[in-house]
Amino acid sequence: MSNSVISVISRFLEEYTTKTSNKLKVVDAYLFYILLTGALQFLYCLLVGTFPFNSFLAGFILCVGAFILGVCLRIQINPDNKGDFLSISQERAFADFLLAHTVLHLVVINFIG
Amino acid sequence: MAQPRLFSLVLLTVALGAQALTPSHHLSLSDVARLQALLSQPFTDLASAYYSIVGLSKLGASVADENDACHFLKAQLDPMSVDSLFFAAEASQAISDCEIPVSNETRDILLAAVSEDSTVTQIFRAVSALSSLGLPLASQEVVGALVARIAKEDNVLAITTALQTATRLSQQADFGGILEEIEDLAARLDDLGGVYLQFEEGLEATALFVTAAYTLSDHVDTEPPLKEDQVIQLVNSVFSKKSWQSLSEAFSVACAAAALSNNRFQVPVIVSAQGPATVSHNQPILQLLVTDVLSNPLASASVVVESAQAVVSKNVILTQAPFSLRDGIFELNFMTSQPASGYYQFSVAITGDTRLVASQVELKVKVSTEVAITNMDLSVVDKDQSIGTKTSRVDYPFKAKGSFTADSHQNFAMTFQLVDVNTGVELTPHQTFVRLHNHKTGQEVVFVAEPDSKNLYKFELDIAERKSEFDSMSGTYTLHLIVGDATLENPILWNVADIVLKFLDEEAPAAIQSKTLYMPKPDIQHLFREPEKKPPTVVSNAFTALVLSPFLLLLILWFKLGANISNFSLSPSAVLFHVGHACMLGLMYVYWTHLNMFQTLKYLAIIGSLTFLAGNRMLAQKAVKRIAAEQSSRLAKYRSLR
Repeated sequence: MSNSVISVISRFLEEYTTKTSNKLKVVDAYLFYILLTGALQFLYCLLVGTFPFNSFLAGFILCVGAFILGVCLRIQINPDNKGDFLSISQERAFADFLLAHTVLHLVVINFIG
Repeated sequence: MAQPRLFSLVLLTVALGAQALTPSHHLSLSDVARLQALLSQPFTDLASAYYSIVGLSKLGASVADENDACHFLKAQLDPMSVDSLFFAAEASQAISDCEIPVSNETRDILLAAVSEDSTVTQIFRAVSALSSLGLPLASQEVVGALVARIAKEDNVLAITTALQTATRLSQQADFGGILEEIEDLAARLDDLGGVYLQFEEGLEATALFVTAAYTLSDHVDTEPPLKEDQVIQLVNSVFSKKSWQSLSEAFSVACAAAALSNNRFQVPVIVSAQGPATVSHNQPILQLLVTDVLSNPLASASVVVESAQAVVSKNVILTQAPFSLRDGIFELNFMTSQPASGYYQFSVAITGDTRLVASQVELKVKVSTEVAITNMDLSVVDKDQSIGTKTSRVDYPFKAKGSFTADSHQNFAMTFQLVDVNTGVELTPHQTFVRLHNHKTGQEVVFVAEPDSKNLYKFELDIAERKSEFDSMSGTYTLHLIVGDATLENPILWNVADIVLKFLDEEAPAAIQSKTLYMPKPDIQHLFREPEKKPPTVVSNAFTALVLSPFLLLLILWFKLGANISNFSLSPSAVLFHVGHACMLGLMYVYWTHLNMFQTLKYLAIIGSLTFLAGNRMLAQKAVKRIAAEQSSRLAKYRSLR
């Protein structure tokens, strides 16, 4: 059982490092960073407590929102998905990403207190 | 002659039904004395001399030294001034044997003042001076000037002064327009609560208006257009103030009082009881003072009680009983009608003069009496009635000879009757209390004795039932009977007996708990909201560092992946885009620290639009470059495949 899991994981890693373009790996690295930040915030909240709750929520929601927007960007600039996003060029995807981030930041900074 | 008038008055009373307005204020004798004292101040100038001399003459008094006053007037007179001539002339008229010298010049000055171009006050003073000095004047001209001035000066004081001026003119002059002004002015009075009627300009204006209205009405022999209620309300307003601030105010009140007490049409009458309105067997006579507003008795009046009705039982005791006049006071012996004690509503009518206003008065009269306690029986009764009662009779004001003992198996009973000493009728006063007082502990317990249907008062003390009121303290209690009522002349506090109360010992508390009802209560401390517990700074600092650390990881990963900025074109739009984007992130920080949402949105709009335009340009350029690169790579692949 564990064998198959390990073999699946190693296969996945191999495919990932060879098949995915650099651009996508850059975005993936960014996503991983966001994920870590969010997880660490959550850990702090679990360990120390929810005071001040609004700040925790703001930070966590920012991480979650940024992750989601990052995933959207990755999907949209992935050349394999070009058929689904004919009207959206890579630059357009990036611009959308930036705009959405601006709104997200505005809301989060408002809430962080 | 009196019969039909009385009959019509009775009809009027019946028709009017409920109470008509009666004056609530007038000048009592002490008020008149105070007014006279104020007006008797030494003169400071001609105006104050005028107010004092003429004011006192209106009250029927005179200045202390008439000769001195006359000399003062002559010395202070300025023959060139209309005002000066007015004050001197009017004041000299009030003093006997005082003549102001008149010259042709004086007359010319005064006549010149009578014109449309002078103020109403000037015209009034000139006309009054002319008439006081016996100089001729053209009344019709004056009327014309007054009418013209009233049209220009439409205020209360001016019109009142015009009315006063008209009283000095000959009776043949045409007063039509001016007389109407009385009614117009009366319409301008403010009604305060239905009790007072006055001008907003104040007491002086109201008093001067009253004087002018009555003087002018007398002069032209026409009834003033004031209704009875209005007259009473004016009386209330003018005489409600009992200390006057200035000489002119006192003068105006004196003039108004004189006008109201002595004019041809309406004389308000003031009816009040002499002393308290109480009669009893010792004082059976009800005395009434019937005066005018200056407290002068109206000797020519006849006073009749239309009806005297008991307030509680509504029985009419007396009808059409006349008061007899003795020494200026109207008296009636009410006790001859043998009224029971209590309150009576008297409806009194004053007749004898058609001018009387407020001649229908309601008066509340109290008939008081003395009470006697009879048949006071005290007894100690066993609850199961097995042992016969032992009743002792006690007579007021003596105390029972022995003391009574009662314990929890017994009741203590008291019966008595309260009768009117004079008539023998049984009474039920308001207050009949039985008070038990323990000298040693200071306890006091009060009960109410109630009458039964036959007006026999009973008081029963059930020892066992009432033990809580006594805190179960056994001991000797003195028993007092308290009888009181507003209509009793002899309230009673009678120590009837001593009672020894025996409560069961186990119920007795160790000591008397003093009532802590009136001691200060314990303080309540306010608890402020405690701030939430914060984690220690070390922990939060550590976690801040931890949370920021993935950024380093990101940079390392990017470096490893080979992400670089070698493709960074230094086109202006690219630079502007990056700068704008950095500014937006900086704005976020500033928003967090300093700004509010509105300011941030404003800055964001500016920076954002710039960044958007630059970014759009830059990305478009990038797109062009990318598509060109893709096309060239595709072309190269195609070529290599071939």
